[in-house]
Amino acid sequence: MPVVNEQSERMRKFKNKGKDAAALRRQRVEVSIELRKAKKDEQILKRRSISFGFDESLQEEQRNEITLLSLKEIVEAVNGSNPELQLQATQAARRMLSRQKDPPIGQIIELGIIPRLVEFLTYADNASLQFEAAWALTNIASGTSDHTRAVVEGGAIPAFISLLSSPHMYISEQSVWALGNIAGDGPLYRDALIDCNVIPPLLALVSPVTPVGFLRNITWTLSNLCRNKNPYPPLDAVKKILPVLICLMEHEDKDIISDTCWAISYLTDGSNDRIQIVVDTGVLPRLVELMVSPELIILTPALRAIGNVVTGTDEQTQAAIDAGVLAVLPSLLQHARSTIQKEAAWTLSNIAAGPCWQIQQLITCGLLPPLVDLLKKGDFKAQKEAVWAVANFTTGGTVEQVVELVQSGVLQPLLNLLLAKDSKTILVILDTISNLFLAAEKLGETERLCLLLEELGGLEKIEALQNHENNMVYRAALKIIEKYFSGEENPDLQPGTDQEGLYDFSVEKQDFDF
Amino acid sequence: MELSDANLQTLTEYLKKTLDPDPAIRRPAEKFLESVEGSQNYPLLLLTLLEKSQENVIKVCASVTFKNYIKRNWRIVEDELNKICESDRIAIKANIVPLMLSSPEQIQKQLSDAISIIGREDFPQKWPDLLTEMVNRFQSGDFHVINGVLRTAHSLFKRYRHEFKSNELWTEIKLVLDAFALPLTNLFKATIELCSTHANDASALKVLFSSLILIAKLFYSLNFQDLPEFFEDNMETWMTNFHSLLTLDNKLLQTDDEEEAGLLELLKSQICDNAALYAQKYDEEFQPYLPRFVTAIWNLLVTTGQEVKYDLLVSNAIQFLASVCERPHYKHLFEDQNTLTSICEKVIVPNMEFRAADEEAFEDNSEEYIRRDLEGSDIDTRRRAACDLVRGLCKFFEGPVTGIFSGYVNSMLQEYAKNPSVNWKHKDAAIYLVTSLASKAQTQKHGITQANELVNLTEFFVNHIQPDLKSASVNEFPVLKADGIKYIMIFRNQVPKEQLLVSIPLLINHLQAESIVVHTYAAHALERLFTMRGTNNTTLITAAEMAPFVEVLLTNLFKALTLPGSSENEYIMKAIMRSFSLLQESIIPYIPSVITQLTQKLLAVSKNPSKPHFNHYMFESICLSIRITCKANPDAVGSFEEALFMVFTEILQNDVQEFIPYVFQVMSLLLEMHKNEIPSSYMALFPHLLQPVLWERTGNIPPLVRLLQAYLERGANTIASAAADKIPGLLGVFQKLIASKANDHQGFYLLNSIIEHMPPASVDQYRKQIFILLFQRLQNSKTTKFIKSFLVFINLYCIKYGALALQEIFDSIQPKMFGMVLEKIIIPEIQKVSGQVEKKICAVGITKILTECPPMMDTEYTKLWTPLLQALIGLFELPEDDTIPDEEHFIDIEDTPGYQTAFSQLAFAGKKEHDPVGQMVNNPRIHLAQSLHKLSTACPGRVPSMLSTSLNAEALQYLQGYLQAASVTLL
Repeated sequence: MPVVNEQSERMRKFKNKGKDAAALRRQRVEVSIELRKAKKDEQILKRRSISFGFDESLQEEQRNEITLLSLKEIVEAVNGSNPELQLQATQAARRMLSRQKDPPIGQIIELGIIPRLVEFLTYADNASLQFEAAWALTNIASGTSDHTRAVVEGGAIPAFISLLSSPHMYISEQSVWALGNIAGDGPLYRDALIDCNVIPPLLALVSPVTPVGFLRNITWTLSNLCRNKNPYPPLDAVKKILPVLICLMEHEDKDIISDTCWAISYLTDGSNDRIQIVVDTGVLPRLVELMVSPELIILTPALRAIGNVVTGTDEQTQAAIDAGVLAVLPSLLQHARSTIQKEAAWTLSNIAAGPCWQIQQLITCGLLPPLVDLLKKGDFKAQKEAVWAVANFTTGGTVEQVVELVQSGVLQPLLNLLLAKDSKTILVILDTISNLFLAAEKLGETERLCLLLEELGGLEKIEALQNHENNMVYRAALKIIEKYFSGEENPDLQPGTDQEGLYDFSVEKQDFDF
Repeated sequence: MELSDANLQTLTEYLKKTLDPDPAIRRPAEKFLESVEGSQNYPLLLLTLLEKSQENVIKVCASVTFKNYIKRNWRIVEDELNKICESDRIAIKANIVPLMLSSPEQIQKQLSDAISIIGREDFPQKWPDLLTEMVNRFQSGDFHVINGVLRTAHSLFKRYRHEFKSNELWTEIKLVLDAFALPLTNLFKATIELCSTHANDASALKVLFSSLILIAKLFYSLNFQDLPEFFEDNMETWMTNFHSLLTLDNKLLQTDDEEEAGLLELLKSQICDNAALYAQKYDEEFQPYLPRFVTAIWNLLVTTGQEVKYDLLVSNAIQFLASVCERPHYKHLFEDQNTLTSICEKVIVPNMEFRAADEEAFEDNSEEYIRRDLEGSDIDTRRRAACDLVRGLCKFFEGPVTGIFSGYVNSMLQEYAKNPSVNWKHKDAAIYLVTSLASKAQTQKHGITQANELVNLTEFFVNHIQPDLKSASVNEFPVLKADGIKYIMIFRNQVPKEQLLVSIPLLINHLQAESIVVHTYAAHALERLFTMRGTNNTTLITAAEMAPFVEVLLTNLFKALTLPGSSENEYIMKAIMRSFSLLQESIIPYIPSVITQLTQKLLAVSKNPSKPHFNHYMFESICLSIRITCKANPDAVGSFEEALFMVFTEILQNDVQEFIPYVFQVMSLLLEMHKNEIPSSYMALFPHLLQPVLWERTGNIPPLVRLLQAYLERGANTIASAAADKIPGLLGVFQKLIASKANDHQGFYLLNSIIEHMPPASVDQYRKQIFILLFQRLQNSKTTKFIKSFLVFINLYCIKYGALALQEIFDSIQPKMFGMVLEKIIIPEIQKVSGQVEKKICAVGITKILTECPPMMDTEYTKLWTPLLQALIGLFELPEDDTIPDEEHFIDIEDTPGYQTAFSQLAFAGKKEHDPVGQMVNNPRIHLAQSLHKLSTACPGRVPSMLSTSLNAEALQYLQGYLQAASVTLL
């Protein structure tokens, strides 16, 4: 049974860590650069096979004894023609690559044996050698981009694809794994695989009798084929994979469901037409159901997929609302994990960016109290998203809805966050305050709002922001102070006049047509 | 310019001259340098000089000149001349870092600034090796060099603290982290080790601690945007060391200076910031370390002294605790009764004490003291931080905290009672403690709006505040007096009215206190009490209740203006205004003396107006005197004119710009008081009011329009007969105003007054011109505001001259003009008109067009008849705009928006809204019904048929309602 190394330290080896670009419905700002550690709850891009089948029975020391072939001996044997030695050497290389710590991937590549290992894949009469080579190559492909490239450039893609139909299930399964690693490298190799027609034989492996472990590998590889943007996977490939994913989502195995949800989350992380394809499958109710799964590995991608859907059009968002997303969000906003809070708040912020009837549903479903609570007590990342939710609400909501928002106690925690150490958050809050004033003006309640802001300590915070280093923040604060908190206000009025000097009263007639 | 000795010599000469105190020598030298700065090699010559010149003064001067040169010219702006040639740029970047590092500190700072300016433009793309070059110097072991690098790095990276997240920014930060984070960490560790090996070497420690401060600052910048992977992995190293630095003390680093923070304080202060950053943003990762920091910071507070040099550290540290204690998951760190007691006792109470520095400010810098204490600009003070901590703790522990503090308050009061003259500061702290404990929410306008219910404010007031204010001497313990007055002020909504009434004579008495703070607070407190609202929207404190105190109040207020330091005290002047407004006719007996004092004040301050609020309230007070007096005795207006005109003339002649808008408003008020024809003194001024120079100043426009309106209202006939030649000038002003989108409404105010009041014959010849002008504006740049005013005007015209006259003049300008205006402007836009009077004018005007304009019945305009009626019904049925209630007494400067900076509208010079239609039409709906009835009688059958063909059902229903109410039927 494949064991995925879960040590977070290892995770750093996986590249392309950052995938959770805080997208906004109105302005999806993608920051592909991450300063943070890879997210612990991201799906894994590439996996190395560390212990497998018969090796499991071996003790650590025994294993070390077996792998004592020197690199030089390995090269000689691999390039030689003795099948016995080829197998031994390949196995030795594979064992080194499966070592728990610091597998010598680079060194093995430098030996130049990859083309030879790829050749072994085609030795249909020597299943053991095929398998050892496949395994070794799988682990090489699990390394950095350069490592994966070495495997691909060794010609492994077509070889692995034909091995999918190997009569030996364990070889076919190893190939699925290797292909998963190659696909996980990025859009380039993903599309190379698709171009080599990887999808039909891969999907053919899915059947009611496929063992669960195998099915997990297939699902994971499928999810990597759906993964990555710039460009997105080709549409027809997506359309082929989707029906199978929808079936897999009904499976009872949690890993399979998890990877399926990840796949769906990748497919929805894109333009509206991409989202539409997923919405059309009718999968949203199932996703919403999975959002309350006790399994974090299921909940996380399901939430992310729905979060992506509501970045879409009003109709797509409505589909998610109809599927019941608003009923499950309150508990997620209060989830023990801060990352879940954050994703849930992000989702909410995009629903709040919708038209006022969707905002009304949000109110009706009781989302305001948990939102206020999150603003008060949430982790900073979640608070930031909650601020966006409030901002969007005040942009699109009706005056009555904004009043309801204020009555739910949003002001105090919102104003407290003016002390946040993040310029963007501060600016968004200032914009929100301006929105509140616009609503107050319509109600003739400007003065009351002024007093309320002052009472809640907001005025002095806004005043202090007039000294903020960030230009936009300082100007936004200044604008609010000038407009609402100072009698000697005024916008720059330029008396634009053509008349100079003495005002002599005269005018020339022209033709009028209004 | 070649890099030659001769050029170096020349440059040296000129640099020397730029230091000359004589501008005749200095200026030309500066000019010369500016003229040659575009030449190639100029910056390199400067760099050579700052490195090699024999004279230190030239070195420094060259470095400053170089930095300013870089500041002005390094950025390449599109379409602007690039003054620095590429080869110079390359040479500068190649040499500046080593040069900076080998320079003495004074020059190093300049070059470090220059590097960061260059870095802002070129780093990282165009200056790829900068980071490596800097990092390599860490190995030098020379801390002079290392500090230079750190300082430069700090100025390069500190922008990460406030810029928005972006791909570009984060790419740069990532690059910096990759190159810089590890060497910085190693340097941090090495520096700390060196600190312990050199623990006895004061001068070495100084250098090392400067490095640590810079390192801690860099940590802050690099960790600001997000928690970098590297720092997460190395959190243990950083936080453990930060923690031990917080607890470190070394006698050698303690400074004697009481004011200036020493290295140790600066470092610890920065560490508090770093911890607060992590606690706020990276809570999840920082959680394991947080309790240690809470304890360390709290111990730090307990052991830190009262000197001013610790202020920043202490307020940062307290703010850290305040932000942590209100987080639900850290609640447990504070929950223990002993912990709470100890925080209250050792952190909060000591930091609330009134210190020597506060005492100094109270006496010598009272304006600043008042601003901090009263207006809340005390964000960074210890008292404020302590107050925030109290509020933070009260979120979860209001009961226990109140209990603990009650004990302290009592014991402090006892201390005071034992020996007031020695222990008065204990009482000050007790009052401050009660205040911060009790106030949960506060505004300037209403004082405390939410109070802690566990504190008995009235009892404290009666037992501890009033006795101080009742004491025989107003000058004893001034700080406690100020505290007591402030207590009344901020808890005015919590203390019962009887107690406030008891306090009023006490406050009046304290207007005489010598201390500026005390008499200012007394004035301010009175002013605030007088604005409190009672039932029925009247004042809480009535004129009748004040009757016994009128004389002493006025006397003391005006006397307070003569106390040293308060001659232009805005709080006192505002209290004068508010007293007049409250007392109304009971001030009349004192007016002669009051107006003399106000005029003298006006004359004095008009020499050099410097306190805008003071001036404003002074004019408000003048207006109030006039209004109140003339209401009782209209003839008194003459005596006011006599008293004021001389000063006004002087203000106008000397062109005191700040006061002119006020003078016009007071004059309007006076003029409107006249019941008969306009006095000749005003007429003499009339031509001067039309002078373009006055109208060029935006601030003059509203009050001048207002004044001209008063002229037209009172003296239209006089103008028509005695100043007919000035009418084109008057209309010129209208034209000037109408040309501006900002002022067109003012133009319409003027025009409306002209149409309403001038004898028709006197404006006959200009009427067509007026309309052409308006049409032109309508065609070229119409705005909603313009359209609204335009609609009101043409309807007013229609009322005044008749509907037929309106139609005729339109069509005489251009055939079918009337129809076009109806169709394109009136019908679609009429609903935009707002304001009760405005709507009434439009309703009456349109009714006239519908019923008194024959072409509407029998020309091609007929098709517009029903749509126009429909639009009118729409106008009726729109919800009315709320009119502004007549509550001038409560109005504050801050409450009157909408006027330009240069113009402050005087609330008490305002006039009632004028309704030109007046009693002529009481109910415009009924008026419409009656007019339609009259029309239908004149041409039976036509009106019902027009209604039935195209008026929509809803409108018809409304109309039937009007007809019914008027008891008429259409024939």
